[in-house]
Amino acid sequence: MMGPLRSTRKTDSPRLSLSRVFLGVWSRAGAAFALLKKFLLLDLLEGLRVTFKAQHPSKIYTEQYPAERPAVAERYRGAPRLNNHPETNQTLCIACDLCAIACPENLIVVGSVRNPATRRKELTTFTYDLSRCMFCGLCEDACPVDALELTQDFELASYTREGLIWDRQMLEEGPRPVRYSS
Amino acid sequence: MSATFLDTNELELNMGPQHPSTHGVLRVILKLDGEKVLGTECVIGYLHRGVEKIAEARTYQQFAPYVDRMDYISAVSNGLGYCLAVEKLLNVTATPRARAVRVILTELNRIASHLFWLGTHALDIGATTPLFYCLREREEVLKIFENYCGARLTTHAFRIGGLQYELYAGFEDQVRAFCGSFPGRVDEYEELLTHNRIWTSRLRGVGILNAEECKRFGVTGPVLRAAGVAWDLRKAQPYSGYEQYEFHVPTGEAGDTYDRYLVRVREMRESVRIIEQALAMLPSGPVMAKVPKVIKPAPGEVYVSIEAPKGELGYYVVSDGGKNPYRVRVRPPSFLNLQALDTMCRGALVADVVAIIGTIDMVMGEVDR
Amino acid sequence: MSEVPTAHTPKVHAHAPAEMAVETWESALTGRLAARFGGGISRFGSYLGQPFLEARADLTLDVLRFLRDEEAFDFLVDLTAVDRPGHAERFELVYILYSFASNERIRVKTRVGDGVAAPSVTGVYPAADWLEREVFDMFGIGFAGHPKLRRILLPDDWSGHPLRRETSILAMDQDWVRRNLGIESGQ
Repeated sequence: MMGPLRSTRKTDSPRLSLSRVFLGVWSRAGAAFALLKKFLLLDLLEGLRVTFKAQHPSKIYTEQYPAERPAVAERYRGAPRLNNHPETNQTLCIACDLCAIACPENLIVVGSVRNPATRRKELTTFTYDLSRCMFCGLCEDACPVDALELTQDFELASYTREGLIWDRQMLEEGPRPVRYSS
Repeated sequence: MSATFLDTNELELNMGPQHPSTHGVLRVILKLDGEKVLGTECVIGYLHRGVEKIAEARTYQQFAPYVDRMDYISAVSNGLGYCLAVEKLLNVTATPRARAVRVILTELNRIASHLFWLGTHALDIGATTPLFYCLREREEVLKIFENYCGARLTTHAFRIGGLQYELYAGFEDQVRAFCGSFPGRVDEYEELLTHNRIWTSRLRGVGILNAEECKRFGVTGPVLRAAGVAWDLRKAQPYSGYEQYEFHVPTGEAGDTYDRYLVRVREMRESVRIIEQALAMLPSGPVMAKVPKVIKPAPGEVYVSIEAPKGELGYYVVSDGGKNPYRVRVRPPSFLNLQALDTMCRGALVADVVAIIGTIDMVMGEVDR
Repeated sequence: MSEVPTAHTPKVHAHAPAEMAVETWESALTGRLAARFGGGISRFGSYLGQPFLEARADLTLDVLRFLRDEEAFDFLVDLTAVDRPGHAERFELVYILYSFASNERIRVKTRVGDGVAAPSVTGVYPAADWLEREVFDMFGIGFAGHPKLRRILLPDDWSGHPLRRETSILAMDQDWVRRNLGIESGQ
């Protein structure tokens, strides 16, 4: 609330004195109103109205992580996983090495042996260095058989640098972070 | 006692690299006479990662994720510029659908970038509330990005020749809902700031850079437009189908910090208009043009630039006919805009330097590369 | 029979790029430039619709000043270099200019040899200040007449110029890293 009107005219004209009295009373009323406003915390309440408007549960943006886990998008590019065939439980990877070639950081190493009977390459080892990964998704795009996939798991912290270099077993099983909620 | 005894000495003050209002790792050496700034010198390079060197040892596709990490606030724009440059070198054009989707995502990114700028700029000046409001709306944009391509910041949304991903179900509804609610939110920010007495007295007449100086220092983007030059690459040299959309290029008059604020706020409103138009005429069809698996452009060189949220972002790509680009030069808007800092700061007060650094809207990842 | 698993190592080609298929660029502007500088401009070319010209290094300043003052190319968009080892003058300096009046963009290219300073264009385009410093930092090309030619992105006492083609992507100033960071290697 702005202060009361202030007359800067210096005049003792009797015609104006009435208005000066009025101004004086008005200024006192204004001051009283301002005091009342301060006393009743009207400004504060007005500000809090905006705050309370944003308090409705549907408007809360804060996530109570780790108690509540955020739902990430279906296409989220998180921890890599080597997929197995759901029925046979055999790896889908055909050891074609395309992911390793596509990777900008050269962090994928695919080991394979050629099966003399079928004349096909079979996967032996698969190493994925997560510490250098930037989750660009190029390996996943390159994979012709949907064996390598970036999943929705996002908790990848490790106590050691070596812990971030994932081997084939880790890639197939996926990370197992401590879950504080269902 | 002689008068010289009472003279003040020139003071040198280090601002940054660890300073909350230098937006990253910028170090400014201020030469001060009391509170008055006599001159500044920027020390940059703390975030240098050698992006242009990395490009020499990557294929064209492999380099695309790296450009996201330069201006990490607007990764989508970076990716668009790079993809357009390589497409030009290959002489291919993205499909109409891909071009429209690119426009939608790039404009959303412009909004996200301006929102982040507005929030942090207001925080620097002392207004805490807009930060929370701005980040709330930015979150909506980042959710769209995450749903579309699986990442929020370093999106890697585009590929050379088009898009990797088709739009997800519900994309149009989500973007429409955002476009519906967002202008009201901008009104809210403007209510808080535009006529705020502290805001105007801190920004009006601060950090003036006129049109002539902008051109001399290679300054582009909202800083140039705030000086009254209605120059926007989306209008001047349209790319990715911008010529189909109707929008205004907001300009200022005074070229001060306040005008830059107004220009950016209006740009957000214009972006919403562009997105709505692009959604309305979103063509169907494939999202990927015919591009060979191994990209080997004929020997040659191109310079392609786009209007990034910060200004003209250019890629000068030289091919020797091999799998890897021979040279990728990035023309970072922040780098050249930051060069004008000294001119803007001379004669200002120390507190104004914070406002001026904020108003340039530079991202150190892009300055240092 | 097993194949030894190794990470792919990036290969950097050290050879200079092959020639590009350039079309000649002819316009009123090239006519005026040719009339003014004659043989000083060795080529007017255009690739994918983007015009460029190649000028002698000692004429750079004159050409740029002419373009700025007479032809309204009043905006220096970018200044960079390309290293082409194997050529007698290995560095190619590229000036990208823009004209607000005609909405045109052209490239001016000159060549300088290793250890030869190019003329600084900061007097013509003040924007070149940091750009020339960056080229000096990354390629080691000197600029005669630059007000303050110092490294800009790398530390002042760094040795080497990373964007030269012979510099490996893994190379770094090991001494600097040891001295200043207290670690054996930054890799």
